[in-house]
Amino acid sequence: MNPKVAPGRPFITLLRYNRPYWSDYAIGMAIALVFSLIGLATPIVISWVVDLFQGGQMTRNLLFVYFGALVGVSAVTGIARYFQRMLMIGASRKFEYDIRNDYFRHVQRLSQDFFHRVKTGDIMARATNDLNYVRMFIGPGIMGTVDLVGVPYTIGVMVWFSPKLSLYAMAPLPLISILVYFFVMYVHRQSKVVQEQFSAVNSRVQEDLAGARVVKAYGIEERELSAFREESTQYMRANMRLAVVQALAFPLIGLVVGLTILFILWQGGQMVIAKELSLGRFTGFVVSISMLMWPLASFGWVLTLYQRGAVGMNRILEIMTAEPSIVDGERTRHDVAAVRGAIRFDGVSFSYGGERVLEDISFEAKAGETLAIVGATGSGKSSIVSLLTREYDPTGGGVLVDGIDTREYPLAQLRAAMGYVPQDTFLFSETIRVNLSLGRPDATEAQLDAASEVAQFAETVRQLPDGYDTLLGERGVNLSGGQKQRLAIARAVLRDPAILILDDALSSVDTHTEESILQRLKEVASSRTTVLISHRVSTVCHADAIVVLREGRIVERGTHEELLALGGVYGDLHQRQLLEEQLEETA
Amino acid sequence: MSEGYHFEDEVQERPYDGRLMRRLLGYLSPYRYRLVGATLLLLAATLFSNVTPLLNMRAIDWYINSADRTALEKSGMGAAAQLNALVERDTQGLMGLLLLIAGLMTAEAAMRYMQGLIVTFVGQRAMLEMRLALFGHLQRMSLRFLDKNPIGRLMTRVTNDVENIQERLVSDFIEVVSQIFTLVIVLGFIFWLNWRLALITLIPVPGVVISSLLFKKYARSSYLNIRKKIAAVNAYMQENVSGMRVVQIFNREDDNFSEYERRNRVHRDEWLRQIRNFAIYFPVVEFWSSLAIALIILYGGLQILGGHEVSAGVASIGMLFAYVQWADRLFGPIRTLADKYNLIQDAMASSERVFALLDTPEEVKDKPEAVAATDVQGEVEFRSVWFAYEHEQWVLKDINITIAPGERVAIVGHTGAGKSTLANLLSRFYDVPRGAVLVDGVDVRDYEQRSLRGNIGMVLQDVFLFSGTVMRNLRLGNEDLSEARIRECAEYVNAARFIERLPGGYEYDVGERGGNLSTGQRQLLAFARTLAHDPRILVLDEATSSVDTEAEMLIQDAIGKLMQGRTCIMIAHRLSTVQRADRILVMHHGEIRESGTHQELLAKRGLYYTLYLLQYKDQNGGA
Repeated sequence: MNPKVAPGRPFITLLRYNRPYWSDYAIGMAIALVFSLIGLATPIVISWVVDLFQGGQMTRNLLFVYFGALVGVSAVTGIARYFQRMLMIGASRKFEYDIRNDYFRHVQRLSQDFFHRVKTGDIMARATNDLNYVRMFIGPGIMGTVDLVGVPYTIGVMVWFSPKLSLYAMAPLPLISILVYFFVMYVHRQSKVVQEQFSAVNSRVQEDLAGARVVKAYGIEERELSAFREESTQYMRANMRLAVVQALAFPLIGLVVGLTILFILWQGGQMVIAKELSLGRFTGFVVSISMLMWPLASFGWVLTLYQRGAVGMNRILEIMTAEPSIVDGERTRHDVAAVRGAIRFDGVSFSYGGERVLEDISFEAKAGETLAIVGATGSGKSSIVSLLTREYDPTGGGVLVDGIDTREYPLAQLRAAMGYVPQDTFLFSETIRVNLSLGRPDATEAQLDAASEVAQFAETVRQLPDGYDTLLGERGVNLSGGQKQRLAIARAVLRDPAILILDDALSSVDTHTEESILQRLKEVASSRTTVLISHRVSTVCHADAIVVLREGRIVERGTHEELLALGGVYGDLHQRQLLEEQLEETA
Repeated sequence: MSEGYHFEDEVQERPYDGRLMRRLLGYLSPYRYRLVGATLLLLAATLFSNVTPLLNMRAIDWYINSADRTALEKSGMGAAAQLNALVERDTQGLMGLLLLIAGLMTAEAAMRYMQGLIVTFVGQRAMLEMRLALFGHLQRMSLRFLDKNPIGRLMTRVTNDVENIQERLVSDFIEVVSQIFTLVIVLGFIFWLNWRLALITLIPVPGVVISSLLFKKYARSSYLNIRKKIAAVNAYMQENVSGMRVVQIFNREDDNFSEYERRNRVHRDEWLRQIRNFAIYFPVVEFWSSLAIALIILYGGLQILGGHEVSAGVASIGMLFAYVQWADRLFGPIRTLADKYNLIQDAMASSERVFALLDTPEEVKDKPEAVAATDVQGEVEFRSVWFAYEHEQWVLKDINITIAPGERVAIVGHTGAGKSTLANLLSRFYDVPRGAVLVDGVDVRDYEQRSLRGNIGMVLQDVFLFSGTVMRNLRLGNEDLSEARIRECAEYVNAARFIERLPGGYEYDVGERGGNLSTGQRQLLAFARTLAHDPRILVLDEATSSVDTEAEMLIQDAIGKLMQGRTCIMIAHRLSTVQRADRILVMHHGEIRESGTHQELLAKRGLYYTLYLLQYKDQNGGA
């Protein structure tokens, strides 16, 4: 686990992540301290100017001096604000960058069982919404807090102007705090209601689109629409309930602030009339009180940032503290030789989610042999692959490569020896080149060509105007199922692996192409071990050994001829395949 | 990609567009009186809040610092009584004026609150309408459209885009209007009181405008860049999470991480640039506003010093005080306008996407003169039908079938032969480009879609259930069906037994997509649902997935009951189903290749015979 991550302790984690930027925060804080002090010059200068006028002592020259002072203070404060913003908000973006990298890195390390358990959308939501809340906490949240450092100074100046008026000015502060607290609590609670109703609206749309066929078949569009109207109206109501309170916050707090200033005007005005206070000090006081109110009022907002930030950080921590179930550990040996490709399953059993998937599986393939595994959907074929590539560990028995348990290999070394072509081809929305050279980023043009040739993908590339640099995916070219599979085979071949695994990887390719691809594969690397997973007899018939799976157990094994002679499950399968071929040919 | 989660990786720029704006305003027009009211409230509130500096000025000049009293005080002459009377007068006057201000403030707060509520309400209502329009439109879209567009993207339109329009356009737009009011009112006051001082106050305005324009330019391009960059960061992570298997098996962790780090860094750097834009702009505007205040004090002070005394009405301390307050309010709006511009543009892009979806024409549409399908006998005819999902890749080629009312026809064929397409066309989920599908001799395109589909019961391979209770799924919104009738149907097709064993029985929650039920149970529910709606024509696309023997028996029994008295088209995967048919049609590569009864076709030793050996032979000891 990342040393910066403190499980269940969001604030500690945040502190650790922000340690590299402590000087930015410290300087920002120092700037704030110094310049909120300088900012106090404004009310003081104003009070002097007014009093000088009142006393008739004002001169032209003095006036210019004060003008210069006001402009100068503003310029200097502005420059200070610039640095403060750059440092503190900048640090929050740097922090965001750091934690995002670590999050990505951590997710990469997690094992397949995690991805079965946690949905992509959930992993993404934490990296987007939650991370944003955390950043708001760090950036604007801390800026808002720093703004508060000027408050004691301002209060000091106010007291200096007039202690009595200061007392009056402070009177409504508890009221404002209570109001802010009430608003924050209500808004927080009601926001949750709004959010939940938003999900309800969301699921409605999703369900209706997913079930569009049923909706149409039963002609229930109107009823679905009215159900949607119901949910949406509730969403609107929840929003309105939120707005009724939220819209009150600013006018109400504004009113309290305004009335306070009025009260000061009234009391202060009387004091001026009674000559207890000079007009200048009075003016200065009014200017400083308006400097005080908003940082205090906005503190309530800052509190919500803190709260949401802590919740967001906790949710991110939930992912960042998840431990990968498959990692290099004490058993890992760092002295194992390069993989030659011998495979042995030794009494392997495997359970997933409380269900027995494989039971007492034993077989062996020498380096350079071709092993085929056939069986119906759900018979456990793909689980065998997942154990071989060590995406999961067996519950019982052992998977051995070159006689060494896979758990003893460094994970990277084990996987580097495997070329894997999955059932569903996964392509990145990048160029063909990037997708092809996935397992071998340094591949030369000649190597790309050779691999594409073997997988019979070269023709497709030649037909594309941009060749290997053709962009794939939604904004690029969409390849057909067969083309994708051939790309995936080329990708695996390019890696020149000791063990090549084809997991039902030729299902979208016709039998003739399939045969010639398999032929070529054998020709280019006769020392390579090949594992073929298929439900097609034509794919597996040339294998050195065939294993037939049924409900997680091996029911038959042998060569094609042996199994045909046996006349069991495999023989049946063969029979069917012949019929299917016969059917295909009848065009 | 997981459903319901979609990243917009396309970032468009959408300048202000009058046509788009008018269309958006169309959604607001039912509330125009309310909006006029809200605007008036806003205008009044803005006026009230900006009249306060004027009243403050009066409070200072007339009472707190009244000329006759201060003159009297300064001269040190005059009786104490006279001075006391003046003090008394000024105190009274001050209180009156302050009470007036307090009244105005309270009124302003109330008006702002009301205005805020009206605007939120109207915005929420308008967006509700927009959402309903989108939802209704999506429901009318053909399956062809829904096949092509990922659900996640369509959902983003209905939820996030609409939300964006509401927040940005409605709320921010009002904010902009309010700022413009403020600008106009403040300008009015300052020129009305003292045009010279007003001109002085405005000296920094060109500076503010130029800074704002520069800011808008830089911030805008940064803003667009940021949106593109964050989309790239998120899309890459999403792709990596979905393809983590490949990433890990190909040892791509390090390479992909460095690509991610690069995207992440570019995004961070773009933000740092944007932070600089803000960090420069905000203090600069503040500086201009301080400069205005300093200029007011300088100029006003010089005027006072120059002998234009307070009484001359040219400038006074109170007036300077008021101008300082106004100057503050003058520069704020300019800043807000520059700031909101980006957000409003963003909402324009959202509304363009929403309207583009609303403008997508319905492919399958009722004709204006479409008739209701009443008293349907159940005769079905496919007349020279050609069909392709993708351009020119024919799935059906010149299909001719006539099925008499009450006849039972089984359609068999290898995967991909075009069997399910026949069912889709009969229900008019798609329109045929050539030929015609007829029910009771009338082209399905001449019927109202809903009444046509009301006569066709479809039981599909993959039974789709809505989340909610068993009862909800059986009733499917048809309020005419009595509960007793529904229970009767469930009983009849052997579904009642398992339903009654569920906790809560008919009120049991089946879960998302019926996930809490087994395949066999879902099948039986689908039968009950179909029976309850009593269609004239039954289309049965039999499930291929196997269920246990007991469930299989129940299902077979139910199918038999369901077929009674209806025209039946069965896409058959089970021998027992085929054997029930009056006639079997063999489809191959989009054509009808053989036709006849089970025995006739077997005797032919053709395609059907091969299929029989392949698919049905094991199901029992042969026919």
